[in-house]
Amino acid sequence: MMKPLEDLVKLFDASIYFDLNLIVKKENRYFLLNEDLRKLVRKDFFYAGTYLGKTKNNRFFPSFNLLRIIAKQRANKVIVDKKTEWLFICGRDVFKKGIKKVVGSGKRGDYTLILNLHGECLGFGKILHSLDEEYDDVAIKNISDIGDFLRREKKQA
Amino acid sequence: MSGKEFFTKRYKALGWDYEAVELRQAIRVNTINAEEADVLERLQLRGIELEKISFLENGYWICKSTFSVGATSEYLLGLYSIQEAAAQIPATLFNDLKGKQVMDACAAPGGKTVQLANLMQNTGAIIALDVKKRRLIALSNQLERCHVTNTIVYNLDARQASRLNMKFDRILLDMPCSGNFATDNEWFNRRTINDVKRNARLQREILAEATKVLRTDGEIVYATCSLEPEENELNIDWATKNLRLEVEKIDCYGEKALTNIFGKQLDNSVENCRRIWPKKTQGFFICKLKKRRDT
Repeated sequence: MMKPLEDLVKLFDASIYFDLNLIVKKENRYFLLNEDLRKLVRKDFFYAGTYLGKTKNNRFFPSFNLLRIIAKQRANKVIVDKKTEWLFICGRDVFKKGIKKVVGSGKRGDYTLILNLHGECLGFGKILHSLDEEYDDVAIKNISDIGDFLRREKKQA
Repeated sequence: MSGKEFFTKRYKALGWDYEAVELRQAIRVNTINAEEADVLERLQLRGIELEKISFLENGYWICKSTFSVGATSEYLLGLYSIQEAAAQIPATLFNDLKGKQVMDACAAPGGKTVQLANLMQNTGAIIALDVKKRRLIALSNQLERCHVTNTIVYNLDARQASRLNMKFDRILLDMPCSGNFATDNEWFNRRTINDVKRNARLQREILAEATKVLRTDGEIVYATCSLEPEENELNIDWATKNLRLEVEKIDCYGEKALTNIFGKQLDNSVENCRRIWPKKTQGFFICKLKKRRDT
């Protein structure tokens, strides 16, 4: 049950210990509970505690809660400026000039969390070109961003 | 028995002259996720003008905004929620929520569930129910967006809450109701007195079930956004006479509730509820009930 989660955390070169007893799976979705909720939860719950993400076609899609948990640890992160923050939550990729700081790996092909100037996690992406080089192009491909909450609302309406 | 004339005559008989209202959008800062002052500063820097709502702790009117307040990073990061002003009152009426076992009986879309989690600082447990599975998705999204970690959601009719085999210290009954004209331009064309009576019956069933799963000395906050006395004062009067519930005094925005409904005299304690006629906010009714010990 833990492998998809552990693999996802490793993508960001991070390491988090999850207590297996506090993780519950509902169909393809994973939730992290606290001790109180663990005692109370029944099998037929719909949502519980902290939603961690879901698997689909053998791929794990992390929740924004999980990304936020990872962002609090040592992990690959980039901090972006205000304009880039806005474009990113609108689903756009990150341009090199919008990156203010790189923490951890900036290597092409690696995954990194995207944070705003307040250090809040906006989502994550895949590094397309090394972040150590100077260029005027897309540096990080947007994989998932918090604008997804709005897109979900629209889908439901 | 329906239509604008029919309903506005009833309001007149209850002592209120109908007037159209234009509602202002309101937000509530989610204080578990950020300092209130920081959120306000960030929104002001975006050009959003806010005004403190005098009768709420963390509520603000949106005075001016050139774009949707539901599309900012701060909203998507769960630093605030968009929540109508009157709807922000019920959750604040409970005593001592931290560490408690709380049921939110008709929880979707989740604005009040998030508010409860804030007031509880994510301690204890909220059991959130809703009968409509589709609405649970919206509820779940709110919980994820606002970093709520103390809630379990079930797809369950509140009238079957005892199936959970749990007892609760606090129960929020944000009842399914007939609504009011302030939030729905077509309200007078849509609603009939039969809808009101049907909702009132449903509310009594939910209230009776909630009383069963409430611990002795536990608290229920009952709220509707209906102006119709069948769903409000008459239901509370019924509850005080048929369930082990007594009305508690509350100190919040709104007028004393009515104790004489179309000539019928109700228990005097009903006046401790609050009735809000639409003006600054939408129409609302709020009541706090306590479960009596067996005598």
